[in-house]
Amino acid sequence: MNQNSKEKLNGVFASIKAEADRRFKQMKGDDRHNIFIGMATCGLASGAMEVRAAFEEALSETKVNAHIIPVGCLGHCYAEPLVIVDKPGSPPILYHDMTPGKARLLVKAFLEEGDPVFEHVLGAMEENDTIPSVLEFPRFSRENKIVMANSGVIDPEDVYQYIERGGYWALVKALTLAPEEIIEEILESGLRGRGGAGFLTGLKWRLVRDAREEDKIIICNADEGDPGAYMDRALLESNPHQVIEGIAIAAYAVGARRAIIYVRAEYPLAVKMIKNAIDQSKEIGLLGKGILGTNFDLDISVFQGSGAFVCGEETALIQSIQGKRGMPQPRPPYPSQRGLWGKPTVVNNVKSMASIPPIIEHGARWFRGIGTAKTPGTAIFSVVGNILHAGLVEIPMGVTLRVLIFDICGGIPDKKKFKAVQIGGPSGGCLPETFLDTQVDFDSLTEAGAMMGSGGMVVMDEDACMVDVARYFLDFTQKESCGKCTFCRIGTKHLLDILERITRGEGREGDIELLEDLSLDIREGSLCGLGKTAPNPVLTTVKYFRDEYEAHVREKRCPSMMCRALIAYYIDLEACARGCDACVGSCPTESIFTTEDRKKAIDQTSCVRCGECMTSCPPEYNAVRKVSPPALAPKIERPREG
Amino acid sequence: MDHTRETEEEALLNDIASMLAAFEKERANLIPILQMIQERHHYLSASALQMVAKHLGVSGCEVYGVATFYNQFRFYPPGKHRIRVCLGTACHLRGGDIILENFERKLGIKEAETTADREFSIDRVACVGCCALAPVAIIDDTVHGHMAPSKVEGLILGFEIEKQREKRGKQHGESKQ
Amino acid sequence: MVRLVVDNRQIETEEGATVLQACLDNGIYIPNLCYLKEMDSPPGSCRLCLVEVDGYNQPITSCTIKVKEGMIVKTNTEHVRRLQRTAFELLLSVHHVDCRRCPANRSCELQRIAKYLHLGVKLKRFEQLERRVKIVQDHPCLEYVPSRCVLCGRCIFMCQRENGQAMLSFARRGLDTVISFFGEGDKARATCGQCYACVEACPVAALLIRNAHSQ
Repeated sequence: MNQNSKEKLNGVFASIKAEADRRFKQMKGDDRHNIFIGMATCGLASGAMEVRAAFEEALSETKVNAHIIPVGCLGHCYAEPLVIVDKPGSPPILYHDMTPGKARLLVKAFLEEGDPVFEHVLGAMEENDTIPSVLEFPRFSRENKIVMANSGVIDPEDVYQYIERGGYWALVKALTLAPEEIIEEILESGLRGRGGAGFLTGLKWRLVRDAREEDKIIICNADEGDPGAYMDRALLESNPHQVIEGIAIAAYAVGARRAIIYVRAEYPLAVKMIKNAIDQSKEIGLLGKGILGTNFDLDISVFQGSGAFVCGEETALIQSIQGKRGMPQPRPPYPSQRGLWGKPTVVNNVKSMASIPPIIEHGARWFRGIGTAKTPGTAIFSVVGNILHAGLVEIPMGVTLRVLIFDICGGIPDKKKFKAVQIGGPSGGCLPETFLDTQVDFDSLTEAGAMMGSGGMVVMDEDACMVDVARYFLDFTQKESCGKCTFCRIGTKHLLDILERITRGEGREGDIELLEDLSLDIREGSLCGLGKTAPNPVLTTVKYFRDEYEAHVREKRCPSMMCRALIAYYIDLEACARGCDACVGSCPTESIFTTEDRKKAIDQTSCVRCGECMTSCPPEYNAVRKVSPPALAPKIERPREG
Repeated sequence: MDHTRETEEEALLNDIASMLAAFEKERANLIPILQMIQERHHYLSASALQMVAKHLGVSGCEVYGVATFYNQFRFYPPGKHRIRVCLGTACHLRGGDIILENFERKLGIKEAETTADREFSIDRVACVGCCALAPVAIIDDTVHGHMAPSKVEGLILGFEIEKQREKRGKQHGESKQ
Repeated sequence: MVRLVVDNRQIETEEGATVLQACLDNGIYIPNLCYLKEMDSPPGSCRLCLVEVDGYNQPITSCTIKVKEGMIVKTNTEHVRRLQRTAFELLLSVHHVDCRRCPANRSCELQRIAKYLHLGVKLKRFEQLERRVKIVQDHPCLEYVPSRCVLCGRCIFMCQRENGQAMLSFARRGLDTVISFFGEGDKARATCGQCYACVEACPVAALLIRNAHSQ
């Protein structure tokens, strides 16, 4: 396929762009107020639907010309539901932690009377003279949004909003280039696959382009399975068109006419959004037959996963699309040689695909100017756990963990101390404080023993038990092991069993060494990436937190007091207030009884150590204590009935 | 009772048969077909699996092998209300297991089980991508963030009240007639 | 013909052969369970046939790598043995060891590998994992003993090969994986009971002809 005439393409696209501009003008028109509500999954879970209903109701009772525009995710999950109110004559203002009550208040006070209700404002979306802008907060200003630039500000169900902001322009540009030029540009940009392994995207494309077989296939991997990572979901829900545009460019570059987006089963909203986006693009000639008047055809379909973590592995994913059990296959042959239906196949992650349009638009040199020399571009992390400003953060590669966790995300809440950060999900590792100055990029993180993985980052404070964290991840990988190869199927089960007995206080001398030996063998002996990386959480926690393992094994003590078999709650009779009943009602197992002098005590035999009593004890008494080992709790007998 | 179950099963198979016609007899359609059945009927019965095998011209054990590989598919009818407790990393750190335990205790069933009255079933899920709201539980299609053991009680109570109200409404309606 | 050096011995083999097949053909044993000569693309799942090959920094499965002229292969390095030992011990930890009463006694692949690796059939490092799965007896002519099964998949491969369509399959996942005959009344099953290729292929007598052996 030769490149297409620039003039002709621009002409075809110009009419689409004109329609987008016309609609935008209408939206921004005269006295129209726009209310943007973040309605991606996390927004909905925080009550965005109720907020929307409250806005609608309040608006129906007012004369203000206002429209509600559902948008995706801004990445500031800690402040959801988020609403941006764009009132003519005022900068657009971002409101956090919205409630139906606040919605009604805003309609009345702000829309009708012009008072922006400062106490609920997170910040203005642009610099201005009256209201502090969000760009004054590091959580906004330190980010560099390339992939998520339009997430949370456009309606994901309206292709024209994406086009109005420059969307699909990169596709137009790409179609005027020769496929080889595009591949060269992507290679030149140094873009590395954002799915975890960090393979050069351009190289993958070239392998497929150069494959002898005519029929080629593109797969966009959105089987985001790492617990704690959700940027792929957010992106598909917030700006599906950028992903589609990336796929279209990839397909043109390698010569594919078919593409499949493999979306995880647990993401119904993402599936809906991407399907809708495909239909819309098709309707206006950006997908389908003869795209933008050229002879380039592309059909994109969506395949829904059925809940198997291992299907994130490309060979297993391919098996799954073919209607088989999602079991990884030995490589070689690589999918680029023999992939789906035996055809040369590009498998790229959602974030990699979404990185393509900006690279084509601004050029490889621009992209190389962001991030580090070996890993150009941005990284998206979902920073969750014990962190103040949890959510999705897109930062240039090379920022240190310290900056990311403390400056950008606000550090650890409740004045607690930082203990570790788990990066890369079940395949990654736990890094202690001494690694906080590590840069985030593929190589530095791997060197430190963690992994970029898909960008899940779980911050843990002093209360997190590292043995339990390792146990948690092994429990996950063991359950998700496909069962094909010996090391992963049986080895991870032994790792889990050993970790479980340690957290139960039944650890034995030699267990820690056995964990290490077995972990190394699983890493070397397993068939696929899931098995090879499964021991990482164990290896890193043993390496950096060996003393915690030893406390569990030798003293039957959990230093962080998290392992429930190794702790006990008791009520300090000195501090307990006579006659107070707050804890009694909170106990799910009726284990709290009244002592003879009308104070409270816990029946250790039926207590399930959920900690609800500690939460419910009024702060002025603060009488509930947690100890490990459990023997430290004083024994108080239940007074006999009557 | 057995009789109604039988007619239920029959209706189910009829429905599947009519839906199958829309799927080409290609192996690649296996998972989409299973998803369609699960979506419409919430579980895959043995006879449904056989029917799919026949449609695609593969052996029953192939279909069974694929279906049992994936977490999504169930092989028994779930409860009217599906409770899914997220045990992703963030939820785990914030006590997701305690939430699961509370549901289990309150309903007297374990995860992956359904109550005897077929009102509730409990499942654990690995991350629904709402980590900033941990711990999270999804009941039917509603995501409940920042769960606490005390909220568990409230949610179940809510369903019970609703059920009683429905029952009363029905009785009321009947007595009117 | 391709020449390669295995454990300092030069051998010759046909082009396109796997290293494992080349070795076996030349009388060099490499432990293996899931491999059959007839397979085009072996699953590489038992992880026993590891070898070291010059140019690779880690042991690799000899069943998935093709021979190359001048290749230098070592089948008995400490590294290879360490991984093989672990793999074997892992398999043993889910295998119900009762050799005396097992129909595979003396023809069992696990026994052969244990002998070859100088290992016993008693677990030392790992605990026995209880897999409470009942013997499957709902098939008209086959019987399946999950507690013996090593999940090599040879039975499935052979059935597929003999009948064009496998009448048994892996079911479930991970440690719960079993061989399943699901499909009462399957047309395919009517022909079953003639070839018994699956039973013959089983390295550990987890698949048996029904009633041929008493428990």
